[in-house]
Amino acid sequence: MDFVRRELLSPEVNVDREDDLLSGDLLDSVAVLRLAAFVEEEFEFKIQPADFVIENFQNVAVLADYVQRASGR
Amino acid sequence: MTIATATPMLLHRMIDEAALRHPEHPAIRCDGETTTYEELARRANGLARVLLATGLERRARVAVLLGKNPRVPVAFYGVLAAGGVLVPIDPRSPVEQVTRILAATGATHLVSEPERRQVVQQALVACPEVSQVVGLEADDGLPFRCQPWSTVFEEAGDRPPDVPVIGLDPAYVLHTSGSTGAPKLIQHTHSSAMSFVDWAVTEYSLTREDRLSNHSSHHTCFATFDFYAAARAAATTVILTPAALMMPASLSSLLERERVTVWYSVPTALVQLSLRGQLETRALDSIRWVLFAGETFPEKHLRRIMRQLPGARFSHVYGSTETNVCTYHHLPESGELGSPLPIGRACSNARTLVVDGDLRPVPDGEVGELLVRGSTVMSGYWGEPERNRQVLVRRTSAGDLEETFFRTGDRVTVLDDGNLTFVARADLQVKVRGYRVELEEVESALLSLDPVEEAAAFAVPDGEGSSAIWAVVVAGDGAASSREEIASAVGKILPVHAVPAEIAVLESLPRTPTGKVDRNALRARLAAGKGQNGG
Repeated sequence: MDFVRRELLSPEVNVDREDDLLSGDLLDSVAVLRLAAFVEEEFEFKIQPADFVIENFQNVAVLADYVQRASGR
Repeated sequence: MTIATATPMLLHRMIDEAALRHPEHPAIRCDGETTTYEELARRANGLARVLLATGLERRARVAVLLGKNPRVPVAFYGVLAAGGVLVPIDPRSPVEQVTRILAATGATHLVSEPERRQVVQQALVACPEVSQVVGLEADDGLPFRCQPWSTVFEEAGDRPPDVPVIGLDPAYVLHTSGSTGAPKLIQHTHSSAMSFVDWAVTEYSLTREDRLSNHSSHHTCFATFDFYAAARAAATTVILTPAALMMPASLSSLLERERVTVWYSVPTALVQLSLRGQLETRALDSIRWVLFAGETFPEKHLRRIMRQLPGARFSHVYGSTETNVCTYHHLPESGELGSPLPIGRACSNARTLVVDGDLRPVPDGEVGELLVRGSTVMSGYWGEPERNRQVLVRRTSAGDLEETFFRTGDRVTVLDDGNLTFVARADLQVKVRGYRVELEEVESALLSLDPVEEAAAFAVPDGEGSSAIWAVVVAGDGAASSREEIASAVGKILPVHAVPAEIAVLESLPRTPTGKVDRNALRARLAAGKGQNGG
């Protein structure tokens, strides 16, 4: 969550766990790639190309679920 | 009842025609939802009535500020049916850009939506001419009147308002990105738009069974194909949502589910789809035409996607917002592609001319500037009579009559087989220590290296009357190449004066809203990084 707020958005934008990250208004495609890279580094696993889909990145909540499943934590 | 064929076809009449003949047929698909032609026509009529009831005058400009959703075609056709001039604004524009476009076009009405309330309020602070907004809830605290979308739906009906519009009347004004200053505002009439649309329907044999994806933002000329050519054939436009566009694997899945048949975009979108879209796991045999334009399509990526989509024909089209598509080249299904890819031959509604600096035709095989004459050419730039005089040039023909040509600023030549081919954009040729260098050749050389996925080169004045070349590359996943390795490798391919003085490896290239590389932003970014100014 902190990464999303700090690195990807301007400071005055507030983002909650359920907010849509992919509406086009918050992040652009580059920011999404950076988010993916951060997640891979931080949780030490590789996102399979087939997992790089809307269902896993729609908001912070589903992303957290995916990370838990995929990184085995 | 049939509509008399003598009636000129106007953009909004296409929807009425389709609603009459195929009312239940899907006009729009977005996020799994359908808008039928009957629904689209009724809602557009509703919007037209609301606009007229709030004082819209003939040919007054109506700006549209919407996200990528099914309200967009309702707004487009509603404004046109009301006799207004449509001004679609890029929803990603900063507030200042919105204000600039509203002020420059003198818009009196704005169509928007609740999600954009804040931007609308801020932008309209400096635009008192906009007195009516459709799409926001009424609010006594605002200096402009509001009609919510619910009113549009209440007014929806089968009968279009009785507003006389002729083919030569202005239909819409599109804006360019404005990353180098004020955006250019390009006006088209119903006639120029319909001429492009009719060519497209014929050339690609569009029928109502077709499903055209809408990739580009609706404020671009790409979208005029996605929406209007589809409407002409009573086909379906499939809006690709921002979320799908950000996740190539989801995008390919969407294309499969929606059975898209025709795609049109800049090459970069196809490159991402090819590299990251998991195309091998999708059944995309429905795609029968892939159109691309606007930038060079690196051959390695093009060949890969042609293999990944074996059922599709590929068409390289050329044109600009000013001309719509004016030349085209269907790629051979096998064999030599040509490097660079030809831009082909003039469309059936256009004439091309290659001229020297004095606007005199050059012999085939020589390089010159491409001029275009035809019914799809713009009326001109809004509010720029001087610039119009420069780009829309008159040549005298038989009978001392004058014909108008548009100066594309692109340098081309005619090949032995009669195809036109791009030599360079006039602004992509630079002099380095007295040697002429084509920046696109530098980019080609960089792209030929395995680890390089994307490349852009640009010129930086070196303070001594000449230029240095700087380049940026994006390396593919897992590529461990360093700047030094890339620089060394490209030094083996290019002549010494064409080798970039600086190469930077970035994670992505800045792009304009249509997806083209924004070289000016690149230049600014790298210059700032090195503590230099532009001069």
